[in-house]
Amino acid sequence: MNASDDTQDDISRRSFLLSSGGLFTSVWVASQWPAIAAAAQHAEHVSNGSAHFEFFSAADGADVEALGAQIVPSGSTGGAREAHAVYFIDRSLLTYFSAMAPGYRLGLADFQAKFRAANPGSAAFAAAGGDQQIAFLKTVDRTPFFEITRMLTVLGMFSSPKYGGNHQGSGWKMLGFVDQHAFAPPFGYYDAEYKGFVPYPAEKHV
Amino acid sequence: MSARQFKPGEMVDFVVVGSGAAGGVVARELSQAGFSVLVFEQGPRLEAADFEHDELKYFFLNGITNDPRHSPQTFRKLPTDTAQQPRSNLLPASYARLVGGSSTHYTANFWRFHEIDFNERSVLGSIAGTAFADWPITYQELEPYYTKVDWEVGVSGLANASPFDPPRSKPYPMPPLPVKSSGVLLERGARKLGLHPFPAPMAIASQAYRGRSQCVHCGFCMGFGCEARAKSSTLYNMIPEAEATGRCEIRALSYVYHVDTDAQGRTTGVHYFDSNKNTHFQPARAVVLSANGAETTRLLLNSTSNRFPQGLANSSGMVGKHLMFNQGSGAQGIFEHELNEYKSVQVTRILHDFYDSDPKRGFYGGGGIDARINPQPALWALDSGGDLPRWGADFKARLEAFPRAMASTGHTTSLALESNSISIDPTLKDAWGIPAIRVTYKDHPDDLAMAKFLQDRSYEILQAAGAQKIWRNDVAENTFGVHLLGTARMGNDPATSVIDKYHRTHDVRNLFLCDGSSFVTSGRGQPTMTIQALAFRAADYIGQFAKRNEI
Repeated sequence: MNASDDTQDDISRRSFLLSSGGLFTSVWVASQWPAIAAAAQHAEHVSNGSAHFEFFSAADGADVEALGAQIVPSGSTGGAREAHAVYFIDRSLLTYFSAMAPGYRLGLADFQAKFRAANPGSAAFAAAGGDQQIAFLKTVDRTPFFEITRMLTVLGMFSSPKYGGNHQGSGWKMLGFVDQHAFAPPFGYYDAEYKGFVPYPAEKHV
Repeated sequence: MSARQFKPGEMVDFVVVGSGAAGGVVARELSQAGFSVLVFEQGPRLEAADFEHDELKYFFLNGITNDPRHSPQTFRKLPTDTAQQPRSNLLPASYARLVGGSSTHYTANFWRFHEIDFNERSVLGSIAGTAFADWPITYQELEPYYTKVDWEVGVSGLANASPFDPPRSKPYPMPPLPVKSSGVLLERGARKLGLHPFPAPMAIASQAYRGRSQCVHCGFCMGFGCEARAKSSTLYNMIPEAEATGRCEIRALSYVYHVDTDAQGRTTGVHYFDSNKNTHFQPARAVVLSANGAETTRLLLNSTSNRFPQGLANSSGMVGKHLMFNQGSGAQGIFEHELNEYKSVQVTRILHDFYDSDPKRGFYGGGGIDARINPQPALWALDSGGDLPRWGADFKARLEAFPRAMASTGHTTSLALESNSISIDPTLKDAWGIPAIRVTYKDHPDDLAMAKFLQDRSYEILQAAGAQKIWRNDVAENTFGVHLLGTARMGNDPATSVIDKYHRTHDVRNLFLCDGSSFVTSGRGQPTMTIQALAFRAADYIGQFAKRNEI
C-alpha cells in the first residue's frame, strides 16, 4: 500500500457512522494541544490586520485561499475568504496539525503542477478566472489534497474564532449558527406551533 | 464529610478502576454501604467551568477523548489481517478519558432495554456463525435498578408514552425536555405513517434536580462536558455523592496497568502509574474493573502471571471476544422553515416500532429511530456521505440551509461474533510502555441490513413530514466504536463467559467486572442506561457478598 492509498483509506473512514455517540469526522493527524494558546495569539494578529503567512509562501497561501474560495464561495453571505480560513490553515499546519504538514506541502505542489499542466500559459491557480478554476477542480476534487483542504477550510470557517479563522464569526453568520450560553423554547418554527403530545390508546403493541 | 484521601499503600476494601458510567455508580453504592473505596481514573478531573463550546478541541483535537499520541490503538477487519494504526485522531475504541468517563461526553439517550433483549436467543433461535445468546438475567430482575437509574442518576421522560415500553415500577422523576422542531417533524411524519413516536427519555435534567440546575439548552451535549451540570454525568452526581461518604477517594491521572494476584489466585490489588509516570502498588481486598469494554479487557489481558498465562479471568479464552459497536444509519431533510437544531438537547422524539427483530424482514436485527442533527457547525458541514454536495455553490447552499435541517437516525443491533474483539497488539505500546489495544471488527451482514432497513424508514418519515429535500448518509461498515460492548460477557457457563450473573469473574473470586463488557447482546444502540442499571445491581450484590464474607 502506498501513501496515497493510506490517505484514500482514511477518506473512506471519514464517511459517517451514525451511532448514539453521534457523527464523527476524522482528522489525519494527532493534535498538539499546547499550540492552542499560540493559535489564539495568531488569531488576534489576523483580526487586527497584521496577518501574514507563517507556513505558506505568499504564492502558496494565495492558491490555498483561492481554492478555499471555490469550496465555499463568497456571495450575498461570506465564504471561506471572508472567514480568513486560509489563516486558520496556515496556523494549524504549524501547530496542532503539523503532522500532516509535509504531506500537505507535497499535495499542494502536485496540485499546482497539475494546474499548470492542464492550463499552459496560466501562472497560478489563484490568478486564473473562476470558470477556469472550477473546470480544473472538477478533475481533482477526489484527491486527498482536495479532501484535506476541504476539511481544513470548513474547520477554518466554523471553528471558534480564537483559532484564527471564522473571522468575526462570519462563518457562523453565513451558516445561521448562534453560539450562546443558553436558549429558551421555542427553538424553531415547528415547535412554536406544537400543540402537545397526544398519548396513544392504552393498548399494548408487543 | 469530605473526600477521603488514603495513605500510600493503605489497604482498602475496594479498588474500582474507572470513574465513568459504571465505576461512578459502583463507587457510590459501595461507599454508601460502608466500604472504603479507591477509584482510579487515568484522565484528569475537570469541572463544569473547565468545559467549553469548542468544536475543534472536542472533536478534532481529542480535548477529552483518548488520544492516539499517548494511547495508540490498531485496527483490522478480520483476524487474518495485519492491524494498522489509523491515521486519524479518532481511535477504533473511542471513549472520554476523564473523571466521569464517557458519561461526561455522552448524548444522554437513556432507553431501557426491553424484555426481549435478555431472551432473544430463546425466542428467535440460534444464528449460524454467531455467539448469539440469552442473558443469565431477565428484564424483571433488572427493572428495580433501571428505576434506580431514573431517580438516582436523573432521567427526564414520559412513562408509558410508547406502546412498546417495557413495564416500569415508577414514573420518571422529571418531565420530558421541551420538544424541538426536529421532534415535532419526526412525530408528524411518523404518525402519518401509523408509527408511535414518543418523548425521548434523556439523562438531562428538565428541571432543577438534586442540587443540579436544569438544562439551559445550549446545544453542546454530544461530545462535550455539560457546562450547566444538567447532563446527568457521574462527574456531577455519583462521584461527589461517593466522596461525601468520607470513605471514597477519586485518584485522577492514575493509570492502572496491572491487576495483581497471589499464589491462591486471588487479586491483591493493582499497579498503577501516577501523573509523573512513577509506579505504585495499591493493595485491596477486592477489585472492580469498570474501565469500559476496551480498557477492562486490555487490563485483564495484560495482567498475565504464571498462574494466568493468557490473562486474568480468561480461562475460557473469551476475554475480549464478542465486541459489539452497534450500527446506525440516517437520512437528512431540509424543511421550509427554521428548526435551529443547534439549540438544546440532541434528541426529543424517538420511536420503537421497529425495536423487535422480525423474521419477515429476512435478517436478524432491531432498532429505534430518533430525530436529531449533528448540532455543531463543522461536523455538520463535513458530512460528505451519500450524494451530499461537497464544494461550490451547491455546497454553500446546503450550508446556508443549516437552520432548516434535521436528521432521522436509526440505532441498531450488532450480533456477537467471536472474531470481533479487543486484543493486545503484538508490537505497539502506549506512552507508558504498556501493550496497546488492537481492535478487530467487521459487521455481520444482518447488522448492515438492519441499518439499511431503518434508513429507508427514516427516509419515509422525513418525506411524510414534508421535507423539501432529503439526503441519505452511507451505511458503512464500522471502523470504530463509541459503544464498547460484550468483551467480557456475563453467563452461567464458565467455559463460554467471563463473569457470572453477579459480575464476579468465574476465575478470580474477589475480582468483579462491570461496564459495557458485561453485555451479552448489544441492545438497540443506547447502552449507558443499561450499563448503569447493571452497575447498581452489581454493587448491590457485591456489597452483600462482602458483608457476608463471601468475597
